[in-house]
Amino acid sequence: MQPETTTGGMRRRSFVAGALGVSAAAGSGGLLTGCGSADTAAGADADSLAAPPAVLGPKKSGVNYPPGYVGPVARELRPIVNEPVKFTIVVPQSLTVGDWNRNAFTQWMQQQTGIQIEWRQVAGGDDTMTKVNAMMAAGDIPDAFLGVTFTRSQLYLYGAQNLFVDLTPYLDKYAPNLQQVEKDYPDARRLMRSPDKGIYSFPDINDCYHCRASNGRSYLNTEWLRKVGLDVPSTTEEFREVLKAFKQADLGGKGRTIPFAGYKDAPLDTYFMNAFLYNPGDPWLVLNDGKVEANYVKDEWREGLKYLRGLYADGLLNKDAFTADQDQMNRYGNNPDRPIIGGARGYYWGSFLEIDEADTKARWRQYTSIPPLQGPNNVRYAAWNYLKVGLEVSTLVITRKCKRPDLLVRWADVQYDLEAILRSYGGPDFKWAAKGDKGINGKQAIYSLGETWASDTTKGKTWDQYGVMYRSGDFRLAERVNPRKPTFESPLYEQTRDDYFPYKQPVDLEFPPVTLEADQAAQDAEIGLNLKGEVNLSMAKFVTGKLDPADDGHWRDYLGRIAKIGLKPYLEIQQAAYEAFQG
Amino acid sequence: MTTTMQAPAPVRETRADRIVMICNYAALGLFTLAVLYPLVYVFSASLSDPKNVASGKVWLWPVGFSLDAFKAVFDYGSIVSGFSNSLIYAIGGALLATVLTLFAAYPLSRQGLPGKGLIMALFVFTMMFSGGLIPTYLVVDRVGLLNTRWAIILPAALAVWNVIITRTYFQVTIPEELLEAARVDGCSDFGFFWRVVLPLSKPIVAVNMLFYAVAQWNSWFSALIYLTNEHLFPLQLVLRQILIQHNVDPSQIRDTSELIRLKELQEQLKFSLIVIATIPPLLIYPFVQKHFVKGAMIGSLKG
Repeated sequence: MQPETTTGGMRRRSFVAGALGVSAAAGSGGLLTGCGSADTAAGADADSLAAPPAVLGPKKSGVNYPPGYVGPVARELRPIVNEPVKFTIVVPQSLTVGDWNRNAFTQWMQQQTGIQIEWRQVAGGDDTMTKVNAMMAAGDIPDAFLGVTFTRSQLYLYGAQNLFVDLTPYLDKYAPNLQQVEKDYPDARRLMRSPDKGIYSFPDINDCYHCRASNGRSYLNTEWLRKVGLDVPSTTEEFREVLKAFKQADLGGKGRTIPFAGYKDAPLDTYFMNAFLYNPGDPWLVLNDGKVEANYVKDEWREGLKYLRGLYADGLLNKDAFTADQDQMNRYGNNPDRPIIGGARGYYWGSFLEIDEADTKARWRQYTSIPPLQGPNNVRYAAWNYLKVGLEVSTLVITRKCKRPDLLVRWADVQYDLEAILRSYGGPDFKWAAKGDKGINGKQAIYSLGETWASDTTKGKTWDQYGVMYRSGDFRLAERVNPRKPTFESPLYEQTRDDYFPYKQPVDLEFPPVTLEADQAAQDAEIGLNLKGEVNLSMAKFVTGKLDPADDGHWRDYLGRIAKIGLKPYLEIQQAAYEAFQG
Repeated sequence: MTTTMQAPAPVRETRADRIVMICNYAALGLFTLAVLYPLVYVFSASLSDPKNVASGKVWLWPVGFSLDAFKAVFDYGSIVSGFSNSLIYAIGGALLATVLTLFAAYPLSRQGLPGKGLIMALFVFTMMFSGGLIPTYLVVDRVGLLNTRWAIILPAALAVWNVIITRTYFQVTIPEELLEAARVDGCSDFGFFWRVVLPLSKPIVAVNMLFYAVAQWNSWFSALIYLTNEHLFPLQLVLRQILIQHNVDPSQIRDTSELIRLKELQEQLKFSLIVIATIPPLLIYPFVQKHFVKGAMIGSLKG
């Protein structure tokens, strides 16, 4: 596939965003194949494929779509069943959703579809899987899991064991909205499928434009740039000069100035290393002509470490750049009276200070994102996430306990409807935009979600993004911007478009979301964790001066440690998984 | 000491004594500060404007006094129900567990119990080896406890550790001679336990109650594993949810608005929730404390 080079026209109809390829026409081909000939899933009723295919209702009137809009539309909905049917679904506990049974969107879904759900809540976080594994082992399985994140490898494993239903025949017959998604995004099916071609989950689509550049974003204080009389830096050397000027002018006062700050959850390497080589960050895997490579053993990585070492040695980075937590970072960013940080690595402003959207002079508006830096060898990448943003598998997983997967698939497909999406994550207080209202991308807006995202206004009303939704790029950017109260969404979009999109790496460098076989997965988890620990620890040591990146001995020792942990078998696993992904 | 018989003057401390005293007070003072400061900080932070907490203005006393955080807490149904559930688990669990512990410990403390060694060995065996998560889950499932309050109370209803402490307490404070004397007076075993042993055992009863209640109050894992009905979740599980909902890897988050929302929520609720979760144990502690030292010490001596 050829990467698209335009910066303006945002036709991200492909999941390989910005790399709109030759496949646009190919996707609509064999959509309704599989009908009739396919067998019903294990455990399902024989007549679960007998009902006629689901069809979409007529479009609702009164909704203004921008020209050329690709995304969900609002339609008249009809009940799926006439007699009440009940399914048991396991969901994560969430304070925002509150009681799933009494939640406003739950009620709405029940009215629209006639399908009742008995919810079972499990506590969220890392331990969710402990609980889910216990349920699986005990055979205490619900009809479906919603919002429980199985990895691709787990889906494949449980799918191959017939614990999870292969949804392929159901999707082809009972998911007209998802079929439309597959026309809009021809890559969708490839990304949904496991290596055995089974589809073990109903996906969630969230084509989030600014998320694609999240890892590579950095900010500088424009006020400070003005005060020291410098432009936004474009090379690593200019950047160093800017930070030095910040430090010299001591704009934070009393010697408290931190020219550039980082914290442990926003690693420095995903921004700075891209001036030396394409670096997507953890797990630092890239493709080179179809071969999987690890960044952290390359000479370019070492050059990057030397550069960072230089910044740190000159006192241009905060001392705790590798250990500060989010709270500490906020204390730097929100320093009373006046800012003390000149810039920061962050996914967005909220990573390092408070976002006050009501105040047009709020401090966060002083900070602007800066494009990637050009390194000494003219390397300049913004790590662009083509493949791992956009389609999430495992949002809804149907198990073999479910007698009627067709009904749950239709139930899920209803959630792809425009109005359902708005209710699912914005709550019942959304409004359709009037003609002439502008969206985030400056085109006609479709909807507005209410004034704020304050927690208590949406509490108990939404599904807090646990549901399945079809949020296309156009849909996301069609949120109305209140001209009097601009949110951070517009600048975030514009800065992503102008600062990062132009520097994205070619798509064939990105390591795709692969699926591992069970035994590989265990090995991958173990070696991967150790490698991650070693890389992070050594990076911190190299930058803070406990090790010297210029010292050949130190570097050789580091490579030795990496090799000993098992880089070679690790890369072999990834290579095999990549080849399976390519088919 | 250095006093003499005929000296009416007040006891004079030597210089060495005074230095030791000063050092003692200084060290104890430091310890007290180290323990007290986090408490005071959390309390102050819960009463401050979250913005001032985030920007580091709060370090000892509340800055920008506000009760919003506490109001917000009671806005969340799951917190209120979590609090009452935790009370039920702590009180119910402590009562049941204490009764069982006394019943198990008393016979084991008596000389004449046949097979005492074997029973004790079996008890201790379970301290070293447990069935593991999945087998225990299967058992709880098969007996039909899953997703009921009993799943929280019953599996934790007896701690062998407490049985050992209690047994030792009985052995030390209730001599065999007392039992013989009671028998001579025509007292049955049950009568002896009820009329003699229990009244003499208030300290160990208090210690058991406290241990069990605090353990239940602080526990969340069994609730995580055995409960899928939010109305039964204890407070700690809700508290944990608030704390971790925020600690997602920002690069994995799908929506920035979501992140802001969680951040606000956490900043608002974190400290007030900790205060609320700490209050009950703090309240009961002073009443149990006088027994606490006595009971636990006697029980653990000569174990």
